[in-house]
Amino acid sequence: MQKIDISTILASAIHESKNHLGTILYQLETLKRLNLPTDGAMALRKVEEGMKQLNDEWVEYLYLYRLASDGYHVHYECHSIDEFLDDQVFALMPSASAKGLQLTYNVSQELTGIFDERLLTAVVSTAVYNALRFAKNSIEINAAIENDYLVVSIEDDGKGFEKTAQEEDELLFQTNTGLGLYFAELSANAHKADERSGYILKQTSDRIGGAKLAIYLPQ
Amino acid sequence: MNKPNFSDKKALLIEDMAEARIMQKKMLNDFGFKSIEIAMKAESAIELLRTQSYDVILSDYNLGNGKDGQQLLEEVRHSHLIPNTSTYLMVTAETSTEMVMGAIEYSPDGYITKPFSQAMLERRLLKLMMNKEQLLEINKALDASDYEKAVTEARKVSKENPTLASRCNRIIGDSLISLEKYQEALEVFKACRKESRMPWAVFGEAKCHYFLNNVDKAEQKFRQLTLDNKFFVSAYDWLAKTLVKKGELDEAQAILVDAVGRSPKNLKRQIELGKLSLEVHDNLMAEMSFRRAVFLAKHSCFNEADVYLQHMTSIVALAREGDIPSRQISNFQTTLEKVHQSFFNSAKVRSESYLLEMELYAALGDTKTMHQIEEVWNNDIESGQAEPITPAAQSRINQIKS
Repeated sequence: MQKIDISTILASAIHESKNHLGTILYQLETLKRLNLPTDGAMALRKVEEGMKQLNDEWVEYLYLYRLASDGYHVHYECHSIDEFLDDQVFALMPSASAKGLQLTYNVSQELTGIFDERLLTAVVSTAVYNALRFAKNSIEINAAIENDYLVVSIEDDGKGFEKTAQEEDELLFQTNTGLGLYFAELSANAHKADERSGYILKQTSDRIGGAKLAIYLPQ
Repeated sequence: MNKPNFSDKKALLIEDMAEARIMQKKMLNDFGFKSIEIAMKAESAIELLRTQSYDVILSDYNLGNGKDGQQLLEEVRHSHLIPNTSTYLMVTAETSTEMVMGAIEYSPDGYITKPFSQAMLERRLLKLMMNKEQLLEINKALDASDYEKAVTEARKVSKENPTLASRCNRIIGDSLISLEKYQEALEVFKACRKESRMPWAVFGEAKCHYFLNNVDKAEQKFRQLTLDNKFFVSAYDWLAKTLVKKGELDEAQAILVDAVGRSPKNLKRQIELGKLSLEVHDNLMAEMSFRRAVFLAKHSCFNEADVYLQHMTSIVALAREGDIPSRQISNFQTTLEKVHQSFFNSAKVRSESYLLEMELYAALGDTKTMHQIEEVWNNDIESGQAEPITPAAQSRINQIKS
């Protein structure tokens, strides 16, 4: 019998599901146009948020598959970081607001960087979705150039990586599988310049005290 | 800077799926566009673009059975049916984004991945239109083919907006190529070490080397591009051109065969492959490529008689090789009929098609039919409908009669 490549099958199954989700999200746009009562509108917003997050997660898994199977071509382009982060915050703000959390970014307006926009979009949203689960009040995205690396960091004011990890060990198999971090790492690694590759660091936020995930991309 | 105002802007929406089309139309309506026109497929979009101009074009990548959004974009940009001042936003699915981004030569101004909300679309459009405002003078110059001015304006914008520097450098480099200032263009593409990772910069560099006759360097860069990005099919075309310049025709043909396999719907590539195949006497491949080209030409901006005549030429070449199957003769007839339908009012095309017909029957050994055609042709020449026999045509006639 021919050997079945189950990961490829799973990837295309995820892809199918994601497309299906997309059509349902279109239907929601119609619902949003109706004058729903407050509780209905609120429920609708939650459904939309949940589905959008699910969509983003599936996108992450698809990229993850491609990165892990060497099927992803990094598309380098020069971007204004201010514009890029403004886009990210705009897209993720509803999820943060729904949880009563602040989501902000700080970057100098002139900063530009070279990276794969789609990949970094997926990494930032993964990191922010993760931070949403641990932050107490706020999540910050910061970016700067350090030693010829573009550093984008997602910081929160939760308990931080170490404590969270300990607790999760105790709870055993909580929802976090670590897949998000693995994805961030592969995405950073895929960015190359000369002999240098990108990488990630799990740190503690000096600014607001919680976890800090820093993504280093060579320029 | 002022936010662009939608109320004096015209939009064209190209989407084949009814549900998405209705939704997107509603969104555009809400933004307050002055007018919104709709095309359900690429071919009808081309018809609209021939007579109308739009400020914003929102096109899906996937447009059903016909051309896809990227092919549409390439065609209308190439034939200047949309000005550089218009905003072209491509709607993609996760899988097609890669193909759009891989097409380095003709890229849309932006893309938005499905599913997207109304707020997201509005934001994306506003940003792109603001960008267009900033690049307005450059794009006007490009539309007027005034490349000197485009370079000057791009240098100005680049100085004022460092975030647009990369985009401006690309325009400067491409404009210098158009001005045939290859050495200067090469310096621009090479100038920024950082940009050497970006495919458009490598592509620009490679093109400069091609024009400067540094064929080995050009070959190496184009090869690198084909390896880096399998969706960047133009790199294959240029690699083939470079190999032709080096005189390595067989290798060039092999590269084009590969490229055609990757994107079989590209008309110009089919034509190139056909021509090259004729040159290396691979007449079977030539016939196949021109047959596909004839099929593709019908609904494109490049629907020219030459494609049809070349197809007939390739069948004549096959007939000269010896026994050819009867279906090839009927292929010849089918294409000939199309020439009759669409191009017979051109005296030149008319003469060439008679001559090809004569050549075919000569190759088949059917001199009777050949003479009949010659008679019809001579009548048409007398009545002024066909071009008089040129020296080149005369020598071809002598050849088939000897």
